[in-house]
Amino acid sequence: MAKLLELIDFHYYYGNIHSVKGINMHVEEGEMVTLIGANGAGKTTTLQSISGLTKRKGIQGRILFNGKEIQTYPGSKVAGLGIAQALEGRHIFSKLTVDENLRMGAYLRKDTKNIKDDIDSVYKRFPRLLERRNQLGGTLSGGEQQMLAIGRCLLSRPKLMLLDEPSLGLAPLIVKEIFIAINEINREGTTVLFVEQNSKIALSTAHRGYVMQTGEIVMSDTCKNLMENTEVKKAYLGV
Amino acid sequence: MFKILLINGLIIGGVYGLIALGYSLIYRASGLMSFAQGDMITLGAYLGLTFYSILRLPFFLSFILTFACAFIVGVLLEKGVIRALLNKSVLPIYIVLATIAISYIIQNATQALFGTTTLRFPQVFSTATLTISGITAQTEAFACLVISLALMFLLHLFMTKTKFGTAMRSAAMDPLAAESCGINTSMSTGITWALAAAIASIAGMLLGPMYGVYTTLGSVVGRKGFAGAVVGGYGNMYGAMVGGIILGLVETFVAGYWTGTYKNLIAYAILILFLFVKPTGIFNEKAIQDV
Repeated sequence: MAKLLELIDFHYYYGNIHSVKGINMHVEEGEMVTLIGANGAGKTTTLQSISGLTKRKGIQGRILFNGKEIQTYPGSKVAGLGIAQALEGRHIFSKLTVDENLRMGAYLRKDTKNIKDDIDSVYKRFPRLLERRNQLGGTLSGGEQQMLAIGRCLLSRPKLMLLDEPSLGLAPLIVKEIFIAINEINREGTTVLFVEQNSKIALSTAHRGYVMQTGEIVMSDTCKNLMENTEVKKAYLGV
Repeated sequence: MFKILLINGLIIGGVYGLIALGYSLIYRASGLMSFAQGDMITLGAYLGLTFYSILRLPFFLSFILTFACAFIVGVLLEKGVIRALLNKSVLPIYIVLATIAISYIIQNATQALFGTTTLRFPQVFSTATLTISGITAQTEAFACLVISLALMFLLHLFMTKTKFGTAMRSAAMDPLAAESCGINTSMSTGITWALAAAIASIAGMLLGPMYGVYTTLGSVVGRKGFAGAVVGGYGNMYGAMVGGIILGLVETFVAGYWTGTYKNLIAYAILILFLFVKPTGIFNEKAIQDV
Protein backbone atom coordinates (compact mmCIF):
# COMPACT_ATOMS: atom_id res chain seq x y z
CA MET A 1 0.00 0.00 0.00
CA ALA A 2 1.07 3.54 -0.69
CA LYS A 3 2.18 5.92 2.03
CA LEU A 4 -0.39 8.74 2.17
CA LEU A 5 1.38 10.65 4.92
CA GLU A 6 4.98 10.53 5.97
CA LEU A 7 6.98 12.48 8.54
CA ILE A 8 10.74 12.33 8.04
CA ASP A 9 13.04 13.45 10.86
CA PHE A 10 10.40 15.93 11.97
CA HIS A 11 11.32 18.45 14.67
CA TYR A 12 9.32 21.26 16.19
CA TYR A 13 10.67 24.23 18.09
CA TYR A 14 8.65 26.74 20.10
CA GLY A 15 11.38 29.37 20.19
CA ASN A 16 14.15 27.67 22.17
CA ILE A 17 12.02 24.80 23.35
CA HIS A 18 12.66 21.66 21.33
CA SER A 19 9.26 20.03 21.67
CA VAL A 20 9.33 17.35 18.97
CA LYS A 21 12.75 15.75 18.57
CA GLY A 22 13.10 14.18 15.17
CA ILE A 23 10.30 11.68 14.72
CA ASN A 24 9.62 9.39 11.76
CA MET A 25 6.16 8.06 11.15
CA HIS A 26 3.81 7.26 8.31
CA VAL A 27 0.19 6.47 7.55
CA GLU A 28 -0.75 4.22 4.66
CA GLU A 29 -3.77 4.75 2.50
CA GLY A 30 -6.89 3.32 4.12
CA GLU A 31 -5.18 2.80 7.44
CA MET A 32 -6.26 3.94 10.87
CA VAL A 33 -3.29 4.93 13.00
CA THR A 34 -3.14 6.28 16.53
CA LEU A 35 -0.56 8.38 18.31
CA ILE A 36 -0.71 7.88 22.05
CA GLY A 37 1.26 9.34 24.92
CA ALA A 38 1.06 11.47 28.03
CA ASN A 39 0.19 15.13 28.22
CA GLY A 40 2.90 17.35 26.74
CA ALA A 41 4.52 14.57 24.72
CA GLY A 42 4.17 16.61 21.52
CA LYS A 43 1.18 14.82 19.99
CA THR A 44 -0.93 17.90 19.30
CA THR A 45 2.08 19.81 17.96
CA THR A 46 2.74 16.96 15.54
CA LEU A 47 -0.87 16.79 14.39
CA GLN A 48 -1.25 20.55 13.99
CA SER A 49 2.03 20.73 12.10
CA ILE A 50 0.66 18.26 9.58
CA SER A 51 -2.49 20.34 9.11
CA GLY A 52 -0.55 23.60 8.86
CA LEU A 53 -1.86 25.18 12.06
CA THR A 54 1.46 25.62 13.85
CA LYS A 55 3.87 28.44 13.02
CA ARG A 56 5.78 27.19 10.01
CA LYS A 57 9.15 28.55 11.12
CA GLY A 58 9.20 26.13 14.08
CA ILE A 59 9.38 23.11 11.75
CA GLN A 60 12.49 21.21 10.80
CA GLY A 61 12.40 18.08 8.69
CA ARG A 62 9.85 17.01 6.14
CA ILE A 63 6.14 16.27 6.02
CA LEU A 64 5.05 14.43 2.88
CA PHE A 65 1.45 14.07 1.76
CA ASN A 66 0.99 11.89 -1.32
CA GLY A 67 4.75 12.22 -1.78
CA LYS A 68 4.64 16.03 -1.85
CA GLU A 69 6.37 18.22 0.75
CA ILE A 70 3.78 20.25 2.63
CA GLN A 71 5.64 21.50 5.70
CA THR A 72 5.69 25.07 4.38
CA TYR A 73 1.97 25.25 3.53
CA PRO A 74 -0.42 27.39 5.58
CA GLY A 75 -3.45 25.64 7.08
CA SER A 76 -5.97 26.77 4.49
CA LYS A 77 -3.77 25.34 1.72
CA VAL A 78 -3.29 22.01 3.51
CA ALA A 79 -7.06 21.78 3.87
CA GLY A 80 -7.31 22.13 0.09
CA LEU A 81 -5.17 19.02 -0.39
CA GLY A 82 -7.73 16.87 1.39
CA ILE A 83 -6.56 16.89 4.99
CA ALA A 84 -9.24 17.69 7.55
CA GLN A 85 -8.76 18.05 11.26
CA ALA A 86 -11.08 17.83 14.26
CA LEU A 87 -9.21 19.94 16.77
CA GLU A 88 -8.62 19.23 20.44
CA GLY A 89 -11.42 20.87 22.39
CA ARG A 90 -13.64 20.58 19.30
CA HIS A 91 -13.52 24.25 18.23
CA ILE A 92 -17.08 24.51 17.00
CA PHE A 93 -18.08 27.93 15.63
CA SER A 94 -20.17 28.85 18.65
CA LYS A 95 -22.36 31.47 17.00
CA LEU A 96 -23.07 29.53 13.82
CA THR A 97 -25.85 26.97 13.65
CA VAL A 98 -25.11 23.26 13.31
CA ASP A 99 -26.04 23.51 9.64
CA GLU A 100 -23.76 26.53 9.07
CA ASN A 101 -20.91 24.79 10.89
CA LEU A 102 -21.19 21.86 8.51
CA ARG A 103 -21.30 24.17 5.51
CA MET A 104 -18.06 25.81 6.64
CA GLY A 105 -16.49 22.35 6.47
CA ALA A 106 -17.33 22.38 2.76
CA TYR A 107 -15.89 25.88 2.30
CA LEU A 108 -13.39 24.91 -0.40
CA ARG A 109 -15.69 22.62 -2.36
CA LYS A 110 -16.89 23.64 -5.78
CA ASP A 111 -19.50 20.88 -6.25
CA THR A 112 -22.24 22.82 -4.49
CA LYS A 113 -25.02 20.42 -5.38
CA ASN A 114 -23.42 17.43 -3.61
CA ILE A 115 -22.92 19.34 -0.37
CA LYS A 116 -26.57 19.01 0.59
CA ASP A 117 -26.36 15.20 0.24
CA ASP A 118 -23.21 15.07 2.34
CA ILE A 119 -24.87 17.15 5.07
CA ASP A 120 -27.78 14.71 5.06
CA SER A 121 -25.42 11.77 5.38
CA VAL A 122 -23.79 13.40 8.43
CA TYR A 123 -27.28 13.76 9.94
CA LYS A 124 -27.93 10.11 9.17
CA ARG A 125 -24.71 9.15 10.93
CA PHE A 126 -25.43 11.42 13.91
CA PRO A 127 -29.22 11.76 14.25
CA ARG A 128 -28.80 13.96 17.33
CA LEU A 129 -27.33 16.66 15.11
CA LEU A 130 -30.38 16.59 12.87
CA GLU A 131 -32.61 17.47 15.82
CA ARG A 132 -30.33 20.42 16.56
CA ARG A 133 -29.61 21.56 13.03
CA ASN A 134 -30.81 25.12 13.60
CA GLN A 135 -29.32 25.46 17.07
CA LEU A 136 -26.14 27.48 17.66
CA GLY A 137 -22.96 25.41 17.96
CA GLY A 138 -22.19 26.85 21.38
CA THR A 139 -25.39 25.43 22.86
CA LEU A 140 -24.56 21.79 22.09
CA SER A 141 -23.30 19.26 24.64
CA GLY A 142 -19.69 18.12 24.48
CA GLY A 143 -20.59 14.88 22.73
CA GLU A 144 -22.74 16.63 20.15
CA GLN A 145 -19.95 19.13 19.51
CA GLN A 146 -17.52 16.28 18.89
CA MET A 147 -19.98 14.73 16.43
CA LEU A 148 -20.28 18.11 14.74
CA ALA A 149 -16.49 18.51 14.60
CA ILE A 150 -16.21 15.11 12.90
CA GLY A 151 -19.13 15.93 10.61
CA ARG A 152 -17.52 19.23 9.64
CA CYS A 153 -14.36 17.31 8.66
CA LEU A 154 -16.38 14.88 6.55
CA LEU A 155 -17.98 17.76 4.65
CA SER A 156 -14.62 18.47 3.02
CA ARG A 157 -14.55 14.86 1.72
CA PRO A 158 -11.07 14.39 3.12
CA LYS A 159 -8.49 11.82 2.04
CA LEU A 160 -6.92 12.01 5.48
CA MET A 161 -8.79 12.82 8.65
CA LEU A 162 -6.87 13.96 11.72
CA LEU A 163 -8.55 13.77 15.10
CA ASP A 164 -7.10 15.33 18.22
CA GLU A 165 -8.33 13.78 21.47
CA PRO A 166 -11.82 12.85 20.30
CA SER A 167 -12.67 11.38 23.73
CA LEU A 168 -11.62 14.43 25.75
CA GLY A 169 -14.10 15.30 28.49
CA LEU A 170 -16.84 12.98 27.22
CA ALA A 171 -18.89 10.38 29.09
CA PRO A 172 -17.88 6.73 28.42
CA LEU A 173 -21.05 5.93 26.49
CA ILE A 174 -20.55 8.90 24.16
CA VAL A 175 -16.87 7.99 23.71
CA LYS A 176 -17.97 4.55 22.55
CA GLU A 177 -20.44 6.07 20.09
CA ILE A 178 -17.79 8.45 18.71
CA PHE A 179 -15.28 5.64 18.20
CA ILE A 180 -17.85 3.44 16.48
CA ALA A 181 -18.40 6.33 14.05
CA ILE A 182 -14.64 6.82 13.52
CA ASN A 183 -14.31 3.12 12.78
CA GLU A 184 -17.14 3.29 10.24
CA ILE A 185 -15.67 6.35 8.54
CA ASN A 186 -12.36 4.53 8.17
CA ARG A 187 -14.04 1.42 6.79
CA GLU A 188 -15.83 3.55 4.23
CA GLY A 189 -12.41 4.53 2.87
CA THR A 190 -11.12 7.59 4.74
CA THR A 191 -7.60 7.29 6.13
CA VAL A 192 -7.52 8.28 9.80
CA LEU A 193 -4.77 9.43 12.15
CA PHE A 194 -5.81 10.23 15.68
CA VAL A 195 -4.18 11.38 18.86
CA GLU A 196 -5.60 10.00 22.08
CA GLN A 197 -4.86 9.99 25.79
CA ASN A 198 -7.33 7.19 26.38
CA SER A 199 -4.85 4.53 25.23
CA LYS A 200 -7.21 1.66 25.84
CA ILE A 201 -9.86 2.77 23.39
CA ALA A 202 -7.20 4.07 20.99
CA LEU A 203 -5.36 0.76 20.76
CA SER A 204 -8.55 -1.27 20.49
CA THR A 205 -9.79 0.88 17.57
CA ALA A 206 -6.76 1.61 15.38
CA HIS A 207 -4.66 -0.76 13.24
CA ARG A 208 -1.25 0.58 14.20
CA GLY A 209 0.02 2.81 16.95
CA TYR A 210 2.92 5.08 17.80
CA VAL A 211 3.83 5.79 21.40
CA MET A 212 5.21 9.26 22.01
CA GLN A 213 7.17 10.33 25.05
CA THR A 214 8.66 13.81 25.63
CA GLY A 215 8.96 14.60 21.95
CA GLU A 216 10.17 11.22 20.74
CA ILE A 217 8.55 8.10 19.39
CA VAL A 218 9.56 5.32 21.74
CA MET A 219 7.56 2.47 20.23
CA SER A 220 5.61 1.64 17.11
CA ASP A 221 3.80 -1.54 16.24
CA THR A 222 0.41 -2.97 15.41
CA CYS A 223 -2.15 -2.13 18.10
CA LYS A 224 -2.51 -5.84 18.88
CA ASN A 225 1.17 -6.16 19.72
CA LEU A 226 1.25 -2.87 21.61
CA MET A 227 -1.60 -4.00 23.81
CA GLU A 228 0.36 -7.10 24.77
CA ASN A 229 3.59 -5.20 25.40
CA THR A 230 4.37 -5.17 29.13
CA GLU A 231 5.71 -1.62 29.12
CA VAL A 232 2.67 -0.26 27.34
CA LYS A 233 0.45 -2.22 29.67
CA LYS A 234 2.13 -0.75 32.70
CA ALA A 235 2.54 2.84 31.55
CA TYR A 236 -0.55 3.43 29.42
CA LEU A 237 -3.15 0.79 30.05
CA GLY A 238 -2.85 0.71 33.82
CA VAL A 239 -2.89 -3.08 33.97
CA MET B 1 -40.21 69.84 17.82
CA PHE B 2 -40.08 66.19 18.94
CA LYS B 3 -40.44 64.89 15.40
CA ILE B 4 -37.73 67.18 14.07
CA LEU B 5 -35.32 66.15 16.81
CA LEU B 6 -36.18 62.50 16.26
CA ILE B 7 -35.34 62.70 12.55
CA ASN B 8 -32.19 64.73 13.17
CA GLY B 9 -31.13 62.30 15.86
CA LEU B 10 -31.68 59.35 13.53
CA ILE B 11 -29.71 61.04 10.77
CA ILE B 12 -26.61 61.68 12.86
CA GLY B 13 -27.14 58.44 14.77
CA GLY B 14 -27.12 56.50 11.52
CA VAL B 15 -23.69 57.92 10.72
CA TYR B 16 -22.44 57.13 14.23
CA GLY B 17 -23.80 53.63 13.72
CA LEU B 18 -21.77 53.20 10.53
CA ILE B 19 -18.63 54.37 12.29
CA ALA B 20 -19.32 52.17 15.31
CA LEU B 21 -19.67 49.21 12.94
CA GLY B 22 -16.08 49.70 11.81
CA TYR B 23 -14.75 49.62 15.37
CA SER B 24 -16.72 46.50 16.16
CA LEU B 25 -15.69 44.65 12.99
CA ILE B 26 -12.03 45.35 13.71
CA TYR B 27 -12.34 44.27 17.31
CA ARG B 28 -14.04 41.03 16.31
CA ALA B 29 -11.49 40.18 13.66
CA SER B 30 -8.27 41.21 15.40
CA GLY B 31 -9.10 41.89 19.05
CA LEU B 32 -7.72 45.40 18.58
CA MET B 33 -8.91 48.99 18.68
CA SER B 34 -7.74 51.20 15.86
CA PHE B 35 -7.26 54.90 16.52
CA ALA B 36 -6.95 55.40 12.77
CA GLN B 37 -10.57 54.33 12.28
CA GLY B 38 -11.85 57.90 12.74
CA ASP B 39 -9.39 59.17 10.15
CA MET B 40 -10.90 56.87 7.57
CA ILE B 41 -13.92 59.19 7.85
CA THR B 42 -11.69 62.18 7.09
CA LEU B 43 -10.10 60.28 4.26
CA GLY B 44 -13.53 59.42 2.86
CA ALA B 45 -14.68 63.03 3.05
CA TYR B 46 -11.60 64.27 1.17
CA LEU B 47 -11.76 61.42 -1.35
CA GLY B 48 -15.42 62.17 -1.97
CA LEU B 49 -14.67 65.85 -2.33
CA THR B 50 -11.86 65.09 -4.79
CA PHE B 51 -13.94 62.82 -6.98
CA TYR B 52 -17.15 64.80 -6.83
CA SER B 53 -16.09 68.42 -6.59
CA ILE B 54 -12.59 68.55 -8.10
CA LEU B 55 -12.83 65.84 -10.76
CA ARG B 56 -16.57 66.54 -11.24
CA LEU B 57 -17.55 62.88 -11.46
CA PRO B 58 -21.19 61.90 -10.90
CA PHE B 59 -22.15 61.49 -7.24
CA PHE B 60 -22.83 57.77 -7.48
CA LEU B 61 -19.50 57.09 -9.18
CA SER B 62 -17.69 59.22 -6.59
CA PHE B 63 -19.42 57.19 -3.93
CA ILE B 64 -18.20 53.88 -5.40
CA LEU B 65 -14.67 55.18 -5.98
CA THR B 66 -14.43 56.51 -2.41
CA PHE B 67 -15.57 53.14 -1.10
CA ALA B 68 -13.03 51.33 -3.29
CA CYS B 69 -10.10 53.59 -2.38
CA ALA B 70 -10.79 53.37 1.35
CA PHE B 71 -11.14 49.60 0.98
CA ILE B 72 -7.62 49.44 -0.44
CA VAL B 73 -6.29 51.74 2.31
CA GLY B 74 -7.84 49.37 4.86
CA VAL B 75 -6.15 46.32 3.32
CA LEU B 76 -2.81 48.12 3.22
CA LEU B 77 -3.17 49.23 6.84
CA GLU B 78 -3.86 45.67 7.98
CA LYS B 79 -1.25 43.95 5.82
CA GLY B 80 1.44 46.63 5.96
CA VAL B 81 1.24 47.68 9.59
CA ILE B 82 -1.00 45.56 11.79
CA ARG B 83 -0.08 42.10 10.48
CA ALA B 84 3.55 43.05 10.05
CA LEU B 85 3.67 43.97 13.75
CA LEU B 86 1.65 40.91 14.80
CA ASN B 87 4.14 38.69 12.94
CA LYS B 88 6.90 40.23 15.02
CA SER B 89 4.89 39.13 18.08
CA VAL B 90 4.60 42.73 19.27
CA LEU B 91 2.29 43.23 22.28
CA PRO B 92 -1.22 44.40 21.27
CA ILE B 93 -0.84 47.71 23.11
CA TYR B 94 2.03 48.72 20.80
CA ILE B 95 -0.09 47.91 17.78
CA VAL B 96 -2.82 50.16 19.16
CA LEU B 97 -0.18 52.86 19.67
CA ALA B 98 0.96 52.38 16.08
CA THR B 99 -2.60 53.17 14.96
CA ILE B 100 -2.30 56.54 16.78
CA ALA B 101 0.75 57.25 14.65
CA ILE B 102 -1.17 56.29 11.52
CA SER B 103 -3.97 58.59 12.63
CA TYR B 104 -1.66 61.60 12.85
CA ILE B 105 0.01 60.71 9.58
CA ILE B 106 -3.37 60.77 7.82
CA GLN B 107 -4.35 64.04 9.50
CA ASN B 108 -1.10 65.72 8.56
CA ALA B 109 -1.09 64.35 5.05
CA THR B 110 -4.61 65.65 4.37
CA GLN B 111 -3.60 69.00 5.88
CA ALA B 112 -0.56 69.18 3.61
CA LEU B 113 -2.66 68.37 0.56
CA PHE B 114 -5.83 70.34 1.25
CA GLY B 115 -4.82 73.03 3.79
CA THR B 116 -6.30 73.92 7.15
CA THR B 117 -9.51 75.64 6.10
CA THR B 118 -12.81 73.83 6.21
CA LEU B 119 -13.81 73.00 2.65
CA ARG B 120 -17.40 73.16 1.51
CA PHE B 121 -18.82 69.96 0.04
CA PRO B 122 -20.98 71.11 -2.89
CA GLN B 123 -24.68 70.43 -2.89
CA VAL B 124 -25.48 66.99 -4.28
CA PHE B 125 -29.19 67.27 -4.99
CA SER B 126 -30.86 70.00 -7.01
CA THR B 127 -33.43 70.67 -4.31
CA ALA B 128 -31.70 72.01 -1.21
CA THR B 129 -34.33 70.94 1.29
CA LEU B 130 -36.96 68.27 1.42
CA THR B 131 -40.13 68.13 3.49
CA ILE B 132 -41.31 64.72 4.59
CA SER B 133 -44.46 64.52 6.75
CA GLY B 134 -44.01 68.06 8.01
CA ILE B 135 -40.29 67.82 8.68
CA THR B 136 -37.96 69.92 6.61
CA ALA B 137 -34.27 69.07 6.40
CA GLN B 138 -31.35 69.22 4.00
CA THR B 139 -31.94 66.70 1.20
CA GLU B 140 -28.44 65.30 1.85
CA ALA B 141 -29.45 64.66 5.45
CA PHE B 142 -32.36 62.47 4.34
CA ALA B 143 -30.11 60.72 1.84
CA CYS B 144 -27.64 60.16 4.63
CA LEU B 145 -30.24 58.36 6.74
CA VAL B 146 -31.37 56.18 3.84
CA ILE B 147 -27.81 55.29 2.83
CA SER B 148 -26.74 54.51 6.42
CA LEU B 149 -29.65 52.19 6.98
CA ALA B 150 -29.23 50.57 3.57
CA LEU B 151 -25.51 49.97 4.19
CA MET B 152 -26.24 48.39 7.56
CA PHE B 153 -28.81 46.11 5.98
CA LEU B 154 -26.45 45.14 3.15
CA LEU B 155 -23.67 44.39 5.60
CA HIS B 156 -26.03 42.25 7.63
CA LEU B 157 -27.00 40.30 4.49
CA PHE B 158 -23.37 39.91 3.46
CA MET B 159 -22.21 38.69 6.86
CA THR B 160 -25.04 36.24 7.48
CA LYS B 161 -26.34 35.09 4.11
CA THR B 162 -23.26 34.76 1.93
CA LYS B 163 -20.66 32.02 2.17
CA PHE B 164 -17.79 34.48 2.28
CA GLY B 165 -19.42 36.64 4.97
CA THR B 166 -20.09 33.57 7.11
CA ALA B 167 -16.47 32.52 6.59
CA MET B 168 -15.34 35.96 7.77
CA ARG B 169 -17.42 35.61 10.92
CA SER B 170 -16.05 32.10 11.43
CA ALA B 171 -12.49 33.37 11.12
CA ALA B 172 -13.23 36.01 13.76
CA MET B 173 -14.91 33.46 16.05
CA ASP B 174 -12.26 30.75 15.87
CA PRO B 175 -9.27 31.37 13.59
CA LEU B 176 -7.75 27.93 14.14
CA ALA B 177 -10.92 26.06 13.19
CA ALA B 178 -11.55 28.42 10.28
CA GLU B 179 -8.06 27.84 8.91
CA SER B 180 -8.55 24.07 9.18
CA CYS B 181 -11.76 24.44 7.14
CA GLY B 182 -9.69 26.02 4.38
CA ILE B 183 -10.59 29.63 5.12
CA ASN B 184 -7.66 31.97 4.53
CA THR B 185 -7.90 33.75 7.89
CA SER B 186 -5.17 36.24 7.08
CA MET B 187 -7.05 37.40 3.99
CA SER B 188 -10.32 37.43 5.89
CA THR B 189 -8.88 39.73 8.57
CA GLY B 190 -7.50 42.04 5.89
CA ILE B 191 -10.90 42.26 4.24
CA THR B 192 -12.55 43.00 7.59
CA TRP B 193 -10.25 46.01 8.11
CA ALA B 194 -10.90 47.04 4.54
CA LEU B 195 -14.67 46.91 5.04
CA ALA B 196 -14.35 48.91 8.28
CA ALA B 197 -12.36 51.58 6.44
CA ALA B 198 -14.72 51.63 3.47
CA ILE B 199 -17.83 52.00 5.63
CA ALA B 200 -16.17 54.83 7.60
CA SER B 201 -15.22 56.55 4.34
CA ILE B 202 -18.88 56.51 3.30
CA ALA B 203 -19.78 58.06 6.66
CA GLY B 204 -17.25 60.79 5.86
CA MET B 205 -18.74 61.38 2.46
CA LEU B 206 -22.21 61.63 3.99
CA LEU B 207 -21.05 64.06 6.68
CA GLY B 208 -19.24 66.29 4.20
CA PRO B 209 -22.29 68.20 2.93
CA MET B 210 -23.60 68.70 6.49
CA TYR B 211 -20.42 69.50 8.46
CA GLY B 212 -17.94 70.64 5.81
CA VAL B 213 -14.64 68.85 5.26
CA TYR B 214 -11.66 69.42 7.56
CA THR B 215 -8.70 67.37 8.76
CA THR B 216 -9.97 66.57 12.25
CA LEU B 217 -13.54 65.81 11.13
CA GLY B 218 -12.91 62.09 11.58
CA SER B 219 -11.24 62.17 14.95
CA VAL B 220 -14.13 64.23 16.39
CA VAL B 221 -16.92 62.12 14.92
CA GLY B 222 -14.92 58.90 15.24
CA ARG B 223 -14.91 59.20 19.01
CA LYS B 224 -18.70 59.35 18.93
CA GLY B 225 -18.82 56.22 16.84
CA PHE B 226 -16.50 54.50 19.29
CA ALA B 227 -18.78 55.48 22.17
CA GLY B 228 -21.72 54.10 20.20
CA ALA B 229 -19.91 50.79 19.71
CA VAL B 230 -19.26 50.50 23.45
CA VAL B 231 -22.85 51.36 24.36
CA GLY B 232 -24.15 48.73 21.97
CA GLY B 233 -21.70 46.05 23.12
CA TYR B 234 -18.15 46.32 21.80
CA GLY B 235 -17.56 43.82 19.02
CA ASN B 236 -21.22 43.23 18.26
CA MET B 237 -22.26 44.29 14.77
CA TYR B 238 -25.89 44.96 15.62
CA GLY B 239 -24.96 46.53 18.94
CA ALA B 240 -22.80 49.02 17.03
CA MET B 241 -25.69 50.06 14.79
CA VAL B 242 -28.13 50.43 17.69
CA GLY B 243 -25.56 52.05 20.01
CA GLY B 244 -24.65 54.62 17.38
CA ILE B 245 -28.27 55.50 16.73
CA ILE B 246 -29.00 55.80 20.46
CA LEU B 247 -26.02 58.10 20.91
CA GLY B 248 -27.19 60.28 18.02
CA LEU B 249 -30.69 60.50 19.46
CA VAL B 250 -29.52 61.34 22.99
CA GLU B 251 -27.15 63.98 21.72
CA THR B 252 -29.82 65.61 19.55
CA PHE B 253 -32.46 65.56 22.26
CA VAL B 254 -30.07 67.01 24.84
CA ALA B 255 -29.17 69.79 22.44
CA GLY B 256 -32.81 70.42 21.52
CA TYR B 257 -34.50 70.35 24.90
CA TRP B 258 -31.67 71.46 27.12
CA THR B 259 -28.45 72.89 25.83
CA GLY B 260 -26.06 72.41 22.94
CA THR B 261 -23.10 73.15 25.20
CA TYR B 262 -23.42 69.90 27.06
CA LYS B 263 -24.35 67.54 24.27
CA ASN B 264 -20.83 66.08 23.95
CA LEU B 265 -20.41 65.90 27.69
CA ILE B 266 -23.64 63.91 27.99
CA ALA B 267 -22.62 61.58 25.18
CA TYR B 268 -19.35 60.65 26.91
CA ALA B 269 -21.00 60.53 30.33
CA ILE B 270 -23.18 57.78 28.85
CA LEU B 271 -20.05 55.97 27.65
CA ILE B 272 -18.53 56.00 31.14
CA LEU B 273 -21.83 55.04 32.69
CA PHE B 274 -22.09 52.01 30.43
CA LEU B 275 -18.53 50.94 31.20
CA PHE B 276 -19.34 50.95 34.90
CA VAL B 277 -22.88 49.62 34.91
CA LYS B 278 -23.08 47.44 31.81
CA PRO B 279 -19.69 46.98 30.17
CA THR B 280 -21.12 44.31 27.91
CA GLY B 281 -23.40 46.90 26.30
CA ILE B 282 -26.98 46.62 25.15
CA PHE B 283 -26.29 43.44 23.15
CA ASN B 284 -24.46 41.82 26.04
CA GLU B 285 -21.20 41.28 24.14
CA LYS B 286 -18.57 39.93 26.51
CA ALA B 287 -15.75 41.90 24.93
CA ILE B 288 -13.60 42.01 28.00
CA GLN B 289 -13.42 38.30 28.74
CA ASP B 290 -13.36 37.24 25.12
CA VAL B 291 -10.20 35.49 23.97
